[in-house]
Amino acid sequence: MDKNKHLDSVISTHQITKEEILFDKYVKKKNEVKEALEEQYGSNIYTPFNSGSYAKNTAINTKFDFDLVTPFKRNAFGSNGTLKEMYEDVYDFLYEKYKDVAVVKKQKVSIGLEFYADSDGDVIKIDVVPGRELSQDQYKEDENLNLYVYYKYGNIDAGSERIKTNVKAQINNIKDRATTEKDSIRKIIRLLKVWKNSKYNYPTKSFFLELITIKSFDSKCITGSIWDKLETVLEYIRDNVTKEDFTLKDPGNSSNDLADTLTSTEKQQLSDDMKNMLDRIEDNDENLKTYFPENSKFKKEDTNNNQYGKNSGMPIPPPKLIFG
Amino acid sequence: MSQRVIEINTVVESIPDVKIVKPFVQSKIDIEGCVTVFVEGLEQPLEFNVTIHPQYPFKSHETETIKFSNDDLIEHKHIMQNGAICIHTAHTPVLSQKLIYDIESVKAWIKKYYINKESDNHYEHLIVPQKAFNENHFVYFFNEVDYTFHKNQFGFVDYSIMNNGVFHKESIQSSIFQSFLSKDRKKIIDVDWNFQLKNLPKSTGLFIFVKDAPSKNQRWVFDEWKDFEAILPQDFLKFLHNVQERLVKKEAKLLPLFVGYNISETEIHWQAIILEIGNFPIYGEKINKQWFTKISEVKSIDWAMTRNCSYRYFFGRGKLSDRITESKILIIGIGAIGSIVAKTLVRCGCRKLGFIEYDVKEPENVCRSEYSFFTGITNKTNDLLNELCLVSPFFEPVNGGYDYSEAFDFFIKSHLADTSIKAEMKKHLDNYDIIIDCSTDNDLLYVLSQLNINSTLLNLSISNHAKHLVCATEHNRYEFITSQFGGNILKFDVDDLHNPTGCWSPTFKASYNDINVLVQTAIKQINLKLEQEKTLRNFVIETDDMGGFNIKIKEF
Repeated sequence: MDKNKHLDSVISTHQITKEEILFDKYVKKKNEVKEALEEQYGSNIYTPFNSGSYAKNTAINTKFDFDLVTPFKRNAFGSNGTLKEMYEDVYDFLYEKYKDVAVVKKQKVSIGLEFYADSDGDVIKIDVVPGRELSQDQYKEDENLNLYVYYKYGNIDAGSERIKTNVKAQINNIKDRATTEKDSIRKIIRLLKVWKNSKYNYPTKSFFLELITIKSFDSKCITGSIWDKLETVLEYIRDNVTKEDFTLKDPGNSSNDLADTLTSTEKQQLSDDMKNMLDRIEDNDENLKTYFPENSKFKKEDTNNNQYGKNSGMPIPPPKLIFG
Repeated sequence: MSQRVIEINTVVESIPDVKIVKPFVQSKIDIEGCVTVFVEGLEQPLEFNVTIHPQYPFKSHETETIKFSNDDLIEHKHIMQNGAICIHTAHTPVLSQKLIYDIESVKAWIKKYYINKESDNHYEHLIVPQKAFNENHFVYFFNEVDYTFHKNQFGFVDYSIMNNGVFHKESIQSSIFQSFLSKDRKKIIDVDWNFQLKNLPKSTGLFIFVKDAPSKNQRWVFDEWKDFEAILPQDFLKFLHNVQERLVKKEAKLLPLFVGYNISETEIHWQAIILEIGNFPIYGEKINKQWFTKISEVKSIDWAMTRNCSYRYFFGRGKLSDRITESKILIIGIGAIGSIVAKTLVRCGCRKLGFIEYDVKEPENVCRSEYSFFTGITNKTNDLLNELCLVSPFFEPVNGGYDYSEAFDFFIKSHLADTSIKAEMKKHLDNYDIIIDCSTDNDLLYVLSQLNINSTLLNLSISNHAKHLVCATEHNRYEFITSQFGGNILKFDVDDLHNPTGCWSPTFKASYNDINVLVQTAIKQINLKLEQEKTLRNFVIETDDMGGFNIKIKEF
């Protein structure tokens, strides 16, 4: 099996441009939510913006990350208003507005909106991330925001008053690297997102995978084919993520450590998953497809992928070989 | 004098602090003698009659074949009814070494239980003589009930005979408690068992809760009825009298009396006494013109056996993690893998189990599954239900059965496009904590993978010759299983299948042993992961017969 050919196909079948109609639905819905927030909060809010993977140029078409950052002014909830009050207020507003058409739920630092399937069966998910500037008018200067942690987030405790960060700096950092190193960093990030998506509810955030990919490229000399690069990144994660002194600096605030967004058990699980993945791919190249599946919707069908009954002149249906 | 007797005398004499009072001599079968043993802390050495059986230094039926007895020590801990110290020492085939070990053990007993009067942490049951009643033994199994008995509460117990068996060389009848009833036969509380046990025909016995153990020294149970004189209240004795009067037509029939007492603040133990109708150990006596019921002075008690079969005792020696045993589990497909999984789970402490299967059991299924030949052709669901009820008194079948299985297959496969039915199916399946799909039905695998079920969903399947077991635990189960068996990853013989005579569908070749070693390994892996609170990952168990049997778990 040609691993590079397969990985190229994984990337191409996951290109966002292949899901234009669905993508447009996301954009439309995101704009609707943005306008609703602007209307509700008027002059208390700066312009909400998308901080998801599309903004960072690392999106895949099986899971659009649409995170709508909502920057509030310092006194939006009164001069003594807390970040918790901000978070609860945004939740209450979104719940009342969308409760009949979507599941509205409180998440780690965001509020999740999962719209019920439309007539095509498509489900649109938008995460709204409320943030507040640190002092009056400061956001205009440096774009720093405080986020509220609703429930335990790795090693960061629930109810923690704030995570100070600069989301725009986060986006730009990743977007710049992903754009300038599109054959390496961008591709690897996309592949890791495909892998994460196959795991369903994996505790590691996409942002973590983006940063650790960049860090591994900065820490090691990563060259060669796409598989060579992917293998090196997987090895880097396997070998480093559980180290006590391992840190992942938030490009939006160097005093935030993204390594804290995972518990030690979750870090161990991530390392074990990398190890298992590398071992199984070494056992048999074909296992690569289990971890990095093509998007079957856009896959070019292999007309002769059934090894049973090959060259027999007459088509033979594959026998049942799974028993119990 | 034989060389063996000479050696015993020589060795015992050489052991420090041991003196031979009566030299060892050969009796008809055993070698017997008398020694004193001194331990610091004693005023005087203790004397023991020593009996050495012919098997010595080997044990017989897991019992030491040397006895150190002294009737005066009978009230001390770890002394058997014949006055012998209860000792267990290390194995050695060398007689002289074994004698040294055994006397060291006697010294340790003296220090611990005679001088220091230590108490053990675990409760030691009263010693009850195992005597047959009219050449029959009786044993009664009880379960803990959620009810607090008060001292001297008495009434009836409904019990059911489960089986007549053989106990060494005599017969034995095993029964279970079914419910406690008041003296006017109003139900106090039911005793929980599986539904088949609950449906057994019932007989009547009596109970009294005496609170304190019926023992003079906390070691042996009372041996004569007069020992109960100060304990059994007059109204209970009258109750006994009335019961006997009412059952006069059943004279000579047996009636068990269960005597309950606390062995800890929260735990009750029941002992059983066999009463013979018409021959109860009571008599009437008129005192001051009033009749009283009295206990017959010289009548020994016929104790039967009891066993606490509550969940924690029944599974006390080993079970799976609570995360599995406390779960409500659905097994889809109960062929070779599914039936082994079901029986293993039930034997390992699982209670709530349902299964889906529309197939019937044929004689040729028996050799590699958990079914029996005896029941002939019958639905697998019905047969497995019976098998599991035989294994565990705590098995509680949830949904299952033939009709349920048919309905399940129809609904889940016919309505995938109908979002509301799909949502209903999802909701129904989410009622289970764990779903184990052993059906190897790729269509069902696909359908289940489309449902986003919140329950832990596991798929188990094997390859021909049971060379591999594939266990999918993750969201990508459909892709994982189809790729593993797709021909490019797992390599196994695809031609050497079993083609049953007269049957159109070939099946895999593998024995019960081949399959079971894989299934048990898989259950071990799943249990370990859950016990360690780790996330389950897909895995493949690979076996290899080259150079001996090799088995390896490959986690994905």
